[in-house]
Amino acid sequence: MNLPELLAPAGDLEKLQIAYLYGADAVYCAGKKYGLRANANNFTIEELRYAVKFAHSLHKKIYVTVNIIFHEKEVEGLEDYLKELDEIGVDAIIASDILVIKKAKELNLKLEVHVSTQASILNGESGLFYKELGVTRLVLAREASIHDIESIKKQTGLELECFIHGAMCTSFSGRCILSNYCTNRDANRGGCAQICRWTFEAEEEKEIFSMTPKDLNLIQYIEQMIKAGVNSFKVEGRMRGIYYIATVILVYRRILDKIRMHNLKEGEVNYYLDILNRCANRDSAPQFIEILPTEKEQYFLGRQELSNQDFLGMVLEYNEKTSEVTLEQRNYFKVGDIVEFFGPKLETFSYQIEEIFDVEDNKIEVANHPKMIVKLKVNTKLNKYDMMRIKVFDKQDYL
Amino acid sequence: MKENKYLITVTNEEMLNWKVKNINFLFPIEGYSVGFLKTFSIEEVQTSHSFLYINRILDTEAILKLKEDLKKVTQNIIGICFTDLGLIRIVRELGLNLQLIYMQNHNTTNASSINYYLEDVDSVLVSSDITKEEIFAILNRANKPLVLPYFMRVEAMYSRRTLLTNYENHFGLEKENRKVLHEEISKMDFLAVENPYGTVLYTNKFIDYRSIKHENILYFFINPIGLDNKTIEGILKGEDLSSISDTGFLYKETYYRLKEEEK
Repeated sequence: MNLPELLAPAGDLEKLQIAYLYGADAVYCAGKKYGLRANANNFTIEELRYAVKFAHSLHKKIYVTVNIIFHEKEVEGLEDYLKELDEIGVDAIIASDILVIKKAKELNLKLEVHVSTQASILNGESGLFYKELGVTRLVLAREASIHDIESIKKQTGLELECFIHGAMCTSFSGRCILSNYCTNRDANRGGCAQICRWTFEAEEEKEIFSMTPKDLNLIQYIEQMIKAGVNSFKVEGRMRGIYYIATVILVYRRILDKIRMHNLKEGEVNYYLDILNRCANRDSAPQFIEILPTEKEQYFLGRQELSNQDFLGMVLEYNEKTSEVTLEQRNYFKVGDIVEFFGPKLETFSYQIEEIFDVEDNKIEVANHPKMIVKLKVNTKLNKYDMMRIKVFDKQDYL
Repeated sequence: MKENKYLITVTNEEMLNWKVKNINFLFPIEGYSVGFLKTFSIEEVQTSHSFLYINRILDTEAILKLKEDLKKVTQNIIGICFTDLGLIRIVRELGLNLQLIYMQNHNTTNASSINYYLEDVDSVLVSSDITKEEIFAILNRANKPLVLPYFMRVEAMYSRRTLLTNYENHFGLEKENRKVLHEEISKMDFLAVENPYGTVLYTNKFIDYRSIKHENILYFFINPIGLDNKTIEGILKGEDLSSISDTGFLYKETYYRLKEEEK
């Protein structure tokens, strides 16, 4: 069975490496110019060059977003930038402005061009318009239903990429300039101030108006989407941290692998759904895939976005002779806590902390300093970049 | 200097009786437009030299239905203003001899992109998200005459969600399909208009670009949603409407890279 690609976000090199390690087949990121996350760290050209080499050494792919809507003053420099990305060897660019798509073709670049979700594609005719321009992949609007996906696939024959997880705009992506009006920050050039997450007063009403959507989560539709012809499952979150990337990518990796092996159980999906919801700090919903979202797929008053302190530590090294793991602390934990370790080559397992040692091998009761280095005795072999988190859910309860 | 030609969105039927030269009416079409309180079926468009306004992002079902409905186009209809690029192909396929005007206001912010679109369409609405200087750079370089905002509310957001219904359902409020929303930090007001195909948030203030003159303009676009006919006529007569309008981004450039203290 040919599985679709699992496509992860990466805001910097560390996140990119974690994404690949935890099971992404491809990563998308932005350079310092022309990306819609203008205020993320993003990648210098040298970092991109390194990232491409790293990705290709793993036989994985890397896509670069060139997805702003250009004003006159940004146009100069685009050609050189595209040539540079091509020379570096990025596999594809993700573009929404017709200028970028046409330029990439005129320059006869080797890299592929994918049309961004900003192009709001919901029908096959629109897909064919872009196919005529030479694009090889459509990133569909998040508003696409399963029926739209099937139909667009049939009509265009192009590769289809669909968001399956993460935050989403209230508007069709790209069809909003509330940020421009409320803050003077241009949403379509990477400055979005997320006004759709603010609150409003509605005339003649006492109740506060809100339009914030819950996150997108299509974990229960993966098999259906594969059948509909999706080639790439995309996770949103270039601004998210490594714990989020690792957790989400690993969950979808496991789901996809189980689908390939024809042994995915419903209970497992529910278990993974709980893991995903917990790590995102937000509620999620399937949104548009089957029905038009209602008030239930939005937040109104009373929304709580609790700070998540589940991520306790990252494995730096493991000594097989002494069964000692060295961890970098990320959140408070103490002797007696029940935690679990997870990682790309690890079957997630529970562990009760019996002893904690500092770097000088002194016994301590708590790990309470950010990024402090501590050691634990763990009998199961761990690998660098495995992670330790609070144990909340037990998979056995779902099976 | 050539005479101005205007493209005006029809917001009520009374407008159609105006005896004003150089006006082409733009009819929001039922089932294919968003952000309008009054829409028309294709059969209802009886005024000569009219345009259809199809500003909805079309899903699979909608574009298939549209393909059938466009067969009803009569000689009164000379063109379509649209936002979904899939429409270009179906008009071609049906062999319809119609002017096509691309009106995705947020995508048309530089001359190069506009010229690429002009390879497939007859004209393009210049974005209102840019400065006067940028507008002139575009008008000077465009390969065909363009449509320019003249006096209109700007579509600041278009969502597929029925945001007013959702709000009303959540709080058990009475059903309304338009509402003014106020954002306190920026002191901005937006007019939300909903139909079954989604919700549009317009700027509550109109943008007034009436001072802009240029040879490379096909139409001046007026979208008078929410205005009475006397005021709409006032737009054309050059009356002072500063109490309900401003100049948008003409003299105010947006930015996107934050200063360190803003992060």
